[in-house]
Amino acid sequence: MVETGHFALVLAFALSLVQTIVPLFGARLNNQRLMAVGGPVAITGFALTALSFAALASAYANSDFSVASVWENSHSLQPLIYKITGTWGNHEGSMLLWVLILTFFGALVAAFGSNLPATLRANVLAVQGVIGAAFFLFILATSNPFVRLNPAPIEGRDLNPILQDLGLAIHPPLLYLGYVGFSICFSFSVAALIEGRIDASWARWVRPWTLVAWMFLTGGIAMGSYWAYYELGWGGFWFWDPVENASFMPWLAGTALLHSAIVMEKRSALKIWTLLLAILTFSLSLLGTFLVRSGVLTSVHAFATDPTRGVFILCILTLFIGGSLALFALRASRLTAGGLFHPISREGALVLNNLFLTTATATVLVGTLYPLALEALTGGKISVGAPFFDLTFGPLMLPLLVLVPFGPLLAWKRGDVFAASQRLMAAFASALAAMLVTGLFIDGASVFAALGIGLAVWLVAGALTDLAVKSGAGSVAPAVMFRRFAGLPRSVFGTALAHFGLGLTLLGIVATLSFGTEKILTMRAGETVELSGHTLRFVGLYPAQGPNYSEDRGRFELIGVSGSPVGEISSAKRFYPVRQTTTTESGIKTLGLSQLYVSLGDEGKDGSVVVRLWWKPLVTLIWGGGLVMMAGAAMSLMDRRLRVGTPSRRRKQASVVTPAGLP
Amino acid sequence: MLFWVIAAILTLGASLAVLLPLAGSSKGTLSSGDHDLEVYRDQLSELDRDAARGLIQPAEAAEARAEIARRILRLHDVDTAGKTSARQGSVIARMVATAAVLAVPLVSWGLYSQIGSPDLPSLPLSERLAKNPADSSVDELVARAEAHLTANPSDGRGWDVLAPVYLRMQRFSDAVAAYRNAIRLGGDSAVRRAGLGEAIAGAAGGIVSADAQDAFEAALKLDPANAKASFYLAMALAQEGRNKEAAKAWRAMLGTLPPDSPWRGAVDQALAKSGNPEIASGAAAKGPDAVDVDAASSMSPQDREAMINTMVASLDQKLRQNPRDPEGWMRLVRSYVVLGKADQAREALNRAIAVFGAGSDEAKKFTAFAASLGLMATE
Repeated sequence: MVETGHFALVLAFALSLVQTIVPLFGARLNNQRLMAVGGPVAITGFALTALSFAALASAYANSDFSVASVWENSHSLQPLIYKITGTWGNHEGSMLLWVLILTFFGALVAAFGSNLPATLRANVLAVQGVIGAAFFLFILATSNPFVRLNPAPIEGRDLNPILQDLGLAIHPPLLYLGYVGFSICFSFSVAALIEGRIDASWARWVRPWTLVAWMFLTGGIAMGSYWAYYELGWGGFWFWDPVENASFMPWLAGTALLHSAIVMEKRSALKIWTLLLAILTFSLSLLGTFLVRSGVLTSVHAFATDPTRGVFILCILTLFIGGSLALFALRASRLTAGGLFHPISREGALVLNNLFLTTATATVLVGTLYPLALEALTGGKISVGAPFFDLTFGPLMLPLLVLVPFGPLLAWKRGDVFAASQRLMAAFASALAAMLVTGLFIDGASVFAALGIGLAVWLVAGALTDLAVKSGAGSVAPAVMFRRFAGLPRSVFGTALAHFGLGLTLLGIVATLSFGTEKILTMRAGETVELSGHTLRFVGLYPAQGPNYSEDRGRFELIGVSGSPVGEISSAKRFYPVRQTTTTESGIKTLGLSQLYVSLGDEGKDGSVVVRLWWKPLVTLIWGGGLVMMAGAAMSLMDRRLRVGTPSRRRKQASVVTPAGLP
Repeated sequence: MLFWVIAAILTLGASLAVLLPLAGSSKGTLSSGDHDLEVYRDQLSELDRDAARGLIQPAEAAEARAEIARRILRLHDVDTAGKTSARQGSVIARMVATAAVLAVPLVSWGLYSQIGSPDLPSLPLSERLAKNPADSSVDELVARAEAHLTANPSDGRGWDVLAPVYLRMQRFSDAVAAYRNAIRLGGDSAVRRAGLGEAIAGAAGGIVSADAQDAFEAALKLDPANAKASFYLAMALAQEGRNKEAAKAWRAMLGTLPPDSPWRGAVDQALAKSGNPEIASGAAAKGPDAVDVDAASSMSPQDREAMINTMVASLDQKLRQNPRDPEGWMRLVRSYVVLGKADQAREALNRAIAVFGAGSDEAKKFTAFAASLGLMATE
């Protein structure tokens, strides 16, 4: 079984070479047969990669220690779920997951691309093939997950204890679906550059792929943030850590791409810009992979680092980023620009959005790479942390967030800011009210809190206003309004939900940063502590034995107003003997949208324990907002305009007829 | 064999994926213009919907419609231009097709033969543990025993069997746990206590800690003749720097040990090393840890003597090359005395004094040291 997987991987590599070369020649020679090879090869390549991945996963599930990667990252006593997720909890396996998703997307284009022009489809599959070939080669040459050990050890070295968590089952697959999803947008862009023209169907295809990738990337980042929040035991949700930035940059660029693709799809404008953004977004995904995997950074994501891998990924990075940008420089002038619009219009608003988002991406890029470059050149280590990003990223986001509610209310081609402002009066009033309430009753000292809460409410109310205005609220009868509301296109709901989610996330961030409280103290069994109106009693420390760890579990009781316990929180320190590692399992109690967070520190000699307590008001909204954004993307994907039919031969005959409505 | 069949089937399937489309009929497909037209038509109907909902003003909607219509007209021009330039390039196409069909089996089998291990079967742990014990390696047997004990943790006999195996495999912390379980479930015995002590010492890198000493003392209480416990307690003395007491304890052991005891060799060796100040300072690495003792005790008396002689000879050799090492000289002299080779001991002492000069501080120290061993330097 293991060797079957290994062979399937090699075979998939061979097919990716065929997928690169044959359709490319086919498109150049306009040869139907050669172009037709791309589809079946992409689908077979995916099937073989899936077989290979299944073989590796089964080796992990069955603790086959004759496979080196299983021996290094698994243990026979781990629960089955962690044995399986351990498949991608290491460098080799995660790269295999990466190409599995890459070939999966390629197969989707092959399977559902029948409404694409044949040459575009062939070129897209060829570019997808060359990305696959590069990464298959990378895996086979430097990170083969199927390297065998003979004789086989009898016991493995255990998975990194921090990764022994349900988060590993969700975060990497979601994130990879996002990262790799942008590869399709990249392939479409490069294919358009190879052809030297952008078909009208190009934008129709790129936008849903951007939506899919963006949806998963949003989920992946939100999940990663929540995982770090509860697993690392410091109660923080975002650290401006280079690894986080590596995922955040494609997200920002992808958000810009999402918006420019709308203009391109609806109005055939911003073609060249959209194409460039698609290339940049995937390039940033690749850059993220390089930063995380090359050993340039040390983090839980780096796994075992090996300089040859770094050099190899750097070559891949240079090939794809350099190659695609060179192609862009050569060919962009041949592409025709389209649709006209006035500066004040929906298009204009989306261009503004793009300007802010790309500048923000550049800021994060500088903040991430500058310390690395400085270290490489001078050896000096500097830390560019939250203060840098607060001063640069923050001021860039502020005007963008203020402008968000205006965008969807402006008409295409020529909009009316005054009319839009009038419609947003209610939203503005509620934002102002929220600021006043915050400033007067909750925290008068913090301008940041009042402004932040006001801005969040402005976003939320603005999204609702958009839906209300489009259903005709205030101008038509409630029954008509309801009918119109139900009849709104799904993409309108998508926009509103995504902006609503953004507001929720902002609300969560501002509330947690401004009103959160923290306490560090030593406690003995039976003692109580009070934090922001919640009383917690430390019941005691109880040793327990897990399948592959031992732990000291600290139990706490939440005391209600009446003095009797209303809930329990337990936090633990776990020791994993195989890796000789200690982890902290934080105890979290969700009360409404807020959370009480308990983390155990060191144990004193007299039976006392250091306890860290946080009160995190509205903290769940940070990730809840992310989920709402994902729902918005899903809603947008269901919109009818994404389903463009294949032209039939019959209609081709009729195509000479001038379409109705032409003046 | 089965693997090769599967590999062949997979290769065949992959080749077919390349071959079939190439062999298919070249049906005339639609040009990209048709696809574009479809999109523009959709854009027009969408424009009408947007205009109906007031998302675009009537004047702008008319303008947009005109834009789309212009694109449709342009499309028609591009389309006819594109069709005339279409060519088949059939020779190149045939070459590419042939290369592609051949590449699949050649690349895959060629590459796999370089990096694959086709002869290694999959080895899921459960299968390895279920096979006939006679075919299993020691590691596999231990894993089986562990699996059995995980399921039946109160099997005292199992722990009793496993504990010394752990000790031999140098898995000291597992050995400590196993001995503790054996004592808890099977009751106290001198052998178990002494084993526990040895495991604790092993886990500490050979240092006989207070915990280990407690275990050995408990063993001696249960069986005063337990050689392992006596040996390690003497070792503890040596590690504390109480070399004379340690040597005395070891010599006492030599007097009471039965002539065929495996511990005699270990004691001889320990006595030979006991002049080594590194033991006295507690350096663990140089002390005879459990493995050394095991190795020495499993030898025949002749082999053991040969081993000790080799060690002393190598020290002698080292001092010839690098003579300014007073500690080394003292160790050498002591070794010869312990081995009963008084002549060589005396010769070594003279050489040592010669190196540093007869009147030097070192020479005085050597003389005093030799006197404490009952040896006099000869002029």
